[in-house]
Amino acid sequence: MTPNRHRDFKLDICSVVLILPLLVAPLLTESPLLDSLSFQIAIGVSATLAVYIMLRMGLLSFTVPAFMAFGAYAAAMLAKGGTTNLLLLMAISFLVPALIAVPLGAMVLRLKGIYFIFITFVFNEILQLIIFETPTLTGGSDGISGVPPATLFSLDLAGRAGIVLVPVVVCAAAMLCTLLVTQRFRAEFTSIEENETLAESLGVAIWKYRTIGFVASAGVAGLAGFALANMLATAHPSSFASWSVINFIAYAFIGGRGTMLGVVAGSALLIVMNSIFSSYAQLSAGMNGVLLLVVMIAAPGGLVGTCVRLYGAAKTRVNGALTAHVQEERA
Amino acid sequence: MESMVSTGLIGLSVGTQYALISIGFTLIFGIMGVVNFAHGGFYILGGYIAFSLTHSLGLPYVAAVVVSMSATAVLGYVIEILFVERYVADHMATMLITLGIYQIMSTGITLGYGAEPAEFRFPVSGSLRGPGFFIPYANLVVFVVCTIVIAGIYYLIFKTRYGIALRAMADDGPVARAQGIPPAKMFPMAFGIATGLAGLTGALVTPILALEPHGGEAVVTKAFIVVILGGLGSVTGAMVSAFLVGLIEAYSSVYLGGSKGALFLFVVVVLILLVRPQGLFGTVDRKA
Repeated sequence: MTPNRHRDFKLDICSVVLILPLLVAPLLTESPLLDSLSFQIAIGVSATLAVYIMLRMGLLSFTVPAFMAFGAYAAAMLAKGGTTNLLLLMAISFLVPALIAVPLGAMVLRLKGIYFIFITFVFNEILQLIIFETPTLTGGSDGISGVPPATLFSLDLAGRAGIVLVPVVVCAAAMLCTLLVTQRFRAEFTSIEENETLAESLGVAIWKYRTIGFVASAGVAGLAGFALANMLATAHPSSFASWSVINFIAYAFIGGRGTMLGVVAGSALLIVMNSIFSSYAQLSAGMNGVLLLVVMIAAPGGLVGTCVRLYGAAKTRVNGALTAHVQEERA
Repeated sequence: MESMVSTGLIGLSVGTQYALISIGFTLIFGIMGVVNFAHGGFYILGGYIAFSLTHSLGLPYVAAVVVSMSATAVLGYVIEILFVERYVADHMATMLITLGIYQIMSTGITLGYGAEPAEFRFPVSGSLRGPGFFIPYANLVVFVVCTIVIAGIYYLIFKTRYGIALRAMADDGPVARAQGIPPAKMFPMAFGIATGLAGLTGALVTPILALEPHGGEAVVTKAFIVVILGGLGSVTGAMVSAFLVGLIEAYSSVYLGGSKGALFLFVVVVLILLVRPQGLFGTVDRKA
């Protein structure tokens, strides 16, 4: 493991560890604010991870809301049909969008840069229209309401704690999946991000790794969609509006697109800030915009990337000073 | 038959609106390689400036439209210099910067005017009726103004020294710079022209459609569709595809119903993009 890889892996593990307290928080306290922050952060992190996986290959995908919708609707239909087992619902909400991503990826992953962004954006719009045009299947503009909460064997997850726990469990699963994919294929993803042509000439099967990333991203987005639908007890098209992806993109870039810790930091920071200023809800988009602007101009690596860079620079300076001091003493 | 002709006329009118908004969008990409997510924000801002000038200051609508266009052009010019110029080479950074600017703009407008749509009415009402057709005067006025402006833009880009310089920058930036064309002057001007066009379209069109703080999102989505179809960076492509989109939208909303028509349009665009990623008139390299 190279030093950078080792460092990034540690940061990724840190992000998973940071999410774990959310699992016990609803059992220790009954604070509605903490509950609200817990499930918002859990859903935000899960959806942002879907953006993050694609960013690891240098692709900015706008399909996250669409895949969230696939996951949410698939799980909602299954739950309405009587199957409320959490594990089954998670599996179906991961698998349905992941399977849809295979043929879709074969079509759209040939495109690069801005064309990829455009087509993924248009895909969201198409899905929204399809939902409106298929009321018998998806409930149309009313969505699917009255979705029963998930259950886990004999555990009742319908109560307050359960409603908070489900998104956190889903988030933990999304993080593990992301960690698995981004660490297992780290070298390939990085080579595609840095120089696709060179990577291809060195024998990296670009289409294969892009497809793996796209499918994993779709599955993770589907999990986020399920968590949202379970929390709201509704799968509604307005929850998956095309422009909602901007929030997840902002979380990834403000926190730092290079590591999962950046995703967690960005999501948590913006969600907590929006919650603090909740009485000025209309300000939240503007606040995200200001932060996005500041980060892109002053700290392109995001919060975590900048901290890592500053820490590295400070460490180098200290090491340099120590070496100079030792050399002076020897002299 | 009357309905078919009238629908066609409305489609052409809508097409000119799309053309005006998309020319600016594609111009910025063609010349600078920047995908301007804030384009819809300038459109809405143009609408709100015109609304304020006519309703609060009592200015004539024509003067309000001219001021809206100028104000959004100047704002675009300043934003380009302050936030975009340094990052022109980084597509992802400029895209996110303009996304942030759009969010700030829409929030600012919401704070200033509220989240509800504003009551902004076109100063002319009624319809022109002829043998076998009718068209609202508002659409007719917008059609005429947009056509004149499009002709002006076309002249600017293809017939003037400035336009030739812009196209040279779009064709080959390094060679254009070597020939003495200064990007530091060209880029802000191009950005200003594009945002001015967005502001003009907003001031003209929002009284007919709707004026609300987040209306820019639908506009940018439409601009995406038009420029994908026409070929990203191609001004001619944007014009032709804007009329195509306008006509398809008008006929499909009448004969298929709004949602199905939009779906049909999106699917056509995706198919075109898959078969010919550079669009109908685009080349592999970006070009104005």
